Amino acid sequence: MITPVRSIESATAASERVARFQRRLASGTAALASVLLACAASAQQPKSARPASSAAPRAAAASAAAPNPYPQRFASLCAACHGANGRSEMPGTPALAGQHSFYAVTQLFLFREGRRSNEAMTAVAKQLNDADLRGFSDFIGTLPPVPAPAPAAPPDAARMKKGAELAQQHKCVFCHGADLAGGQQVPRIAGQREDYLQASLQGFKSGKRPGYTMAMVGAVSEVTPEELDILAYYAARFPGAPAAAPAASK
Amino acid sequence: MRHIRSLVALAALCVVGAPMAQQAPADEPGWAKGRPKTDTAMKMAPVPAFPVPTPADQLPTKKFKLPPGFKVETWASGVLDARGLRQGPGDNILVSTLFVGNKVYRIPEKGKHEAKVIIDKMEMAAGIEYYKGSLFVATNTKIYRWDNVDGKLDNLGEGKVIYDKLPGGGDHSWKYLRVHKDRLYYEVGGPCNICDPGEWAKIYSIKLDGSDMQVYASGVRNTVGFDFDPKDGTLWFTDNGRDWFSEELPNDELNHVTQPGKQHFGFPYCHQGNIPDPEFGWGKDCKDFTPPAALLGPHAGSLGLKFYTGKMFPAKYHGAMFIAKHGPWNRTQKYNGVFVAWPDGKGGAKVEPFMTGFVEDNKYLGRPADFLVMKDGSLLVSDDHAGAIYRISYGGK
Repeated sequence: MITPVRSIESATAASERVARFQRRLASGTAALASVLLACAASAQQPKSARPASSAAPRAAAASAAAPNPYPQRFASLCAACHGANGRSEMPGTPALAGQHSFYAVTQLFLFREGRRSNEAMTAVAKQLNDADLRGFSDFIGTLPPVPAPAPAAPPDAARMKKGAELAQQHKCVFCHGADLAGGQQVPRIAGQREDYLQASLQGFKSGKRPGYTMAMVGAVSEVTPEELDILAYYAARFPGAPAAAPAASK
Repeated sequence: MRHIRSLVALAALCVVGAPMAQQAPADEPGWAKGRPKTDTAMKMAPVPAFPVPTPADQLPTKKFKLPPGFKVETWASGVLDARGLRQGPGDNILVSTLFVGNKVYRIPEKGKHEAKVIIDKMEMAAGIEYYKGSLFVATNTKIYRWDNVDGKLDNLGEGKVIYDKLPGGGDHSWKYLRVHKDRLYYEVGGPCNICDPGEWAKIYSIKLDGSDMQVYASGVRNTVGFDFDPKDGTLWFTDNGRDWFSEELPNDELNHVTQPGKQHFGFPYCHQGNIPDPEFGWGKDCKDFTPPAALLGPHAGSLGLKFYTGKMFPAKYHGAMFIAKHGPWNRTQKYNGVFVAWPDGKGGAKVEPFMTGFVEDNKYLGRPADFLVMKDGSLLVSDDHAGAIYRISYGGK
């Protein structure tokens, strides 16, 4: 339907991107990426053992006219990493429970387009057609928020206080809401995995994770890396999150 | 719609924030400037185009309502983020995109109307124009030109940057282009919902090689649609009113430039010709600014504007201009549609709805963005929300 013909991106910009990617591979992100890749591979195996590049999912979607195929497809394609209930227990892998379908479809789109960099998710998203993007996202949008597992130790009160101040000062609540629950294209960050929040914020800070625009990059540009980590700590343990969640804590 | 919240990353949509990177520590996003701290307002924010086009069989085409004798059909579907429309060479329609697409397409007028990407990975490739064998594309930072593109749209190569002094940023920084009498017209919107825009918030023109920049109109908050009246060569433009003033005010404006370079249309001091801004209006008088020719509705998101230059439509529409109201994000009740306006010869204009039916249960099924008058006189309408292009034709009574 739509065939990319050429890129306007200059050769310099492209080579910079490659260099950035190589640096990233050489850095800690590589560990995360390989975990995700392994996880994506394992996700294929449980029931259907279909290869990642197979067209089978699309065919399955087409043939399953009556029942919504996406709960089952989520279970076989996504759950191994993201959790059957959308609460990931895998390092660096975001919780999808409580996430909004508009946010989910936007991220799947960005992965498929190669505009959000993550090898595992790009590999997954490349198999998905437009109907799949809608189907998976709509299903994700039905998953209720699941609180984080009870922490071994109570949250550090001083760090939480600082986090709350930073969330106000840096206007996080302007878009993510006072309850950090997001909405529409804005992700829920309350109760999200801390390691994922850290990586995301640092990715915005370094410019490696743009959205449609560089606005989130701009939003964190004046926030120090230490403060970003405090924000991640705070949002992951956001006090409102467990209370707001209907599902029981594990 | 009630639970809308924005993502800073997408904030730039309709009204966006000042370049935040330049404002320590973390200023509010520009679109949020002036937002009251009520729960309802705190849940409203710009929403981007949906990243998946609506399947052809689910488009709202059958729901559209038009005046008697007109019919509308889906002309193209699956055109992600279809925004600006221009007639290209070789029976191709050129289509630009904004945040989501980062592409320019060509769609052959013959055959199945399948979009083919001719420019890819170009951020905010919204401004588009084709003139005498040259293709112009403007992002928020640069204006590019490709010469002798006829027959070469699929192999454009590198464009020549003819202008690189655009301010960039997210807020009202995307472009709408027109060529008129061998000059290229573009706008630089105010970098905020409401602020002192400094040297911006103006319509400019340059020669086709990018030289000789001149101010054409000032006090323009954000125009995303303008066209020259073929009768007298004067420019008419839509202008998006400020947000967060109230649900019902101010209106978007339809404006008319009668004294090029000399008129100021009010932003940020005076809105819709008669409302002084609560902050920037102090010490200013609305009488000192050019009033709008017509009001287009509160937060309407008035985008594309095109004079009807075809012959197919009834005589009543000859000399009229079509206006795309994209529809508000900064208003609880949604509305939008294609409107038609007639200059009244006395400095004003009469505006009527022309094609409605894009809204269902207070949700957008589609959002019109721009127009093109085809050679046969039919009218194409782009829809960036549904990723589609509709064709309106007249078949008689």
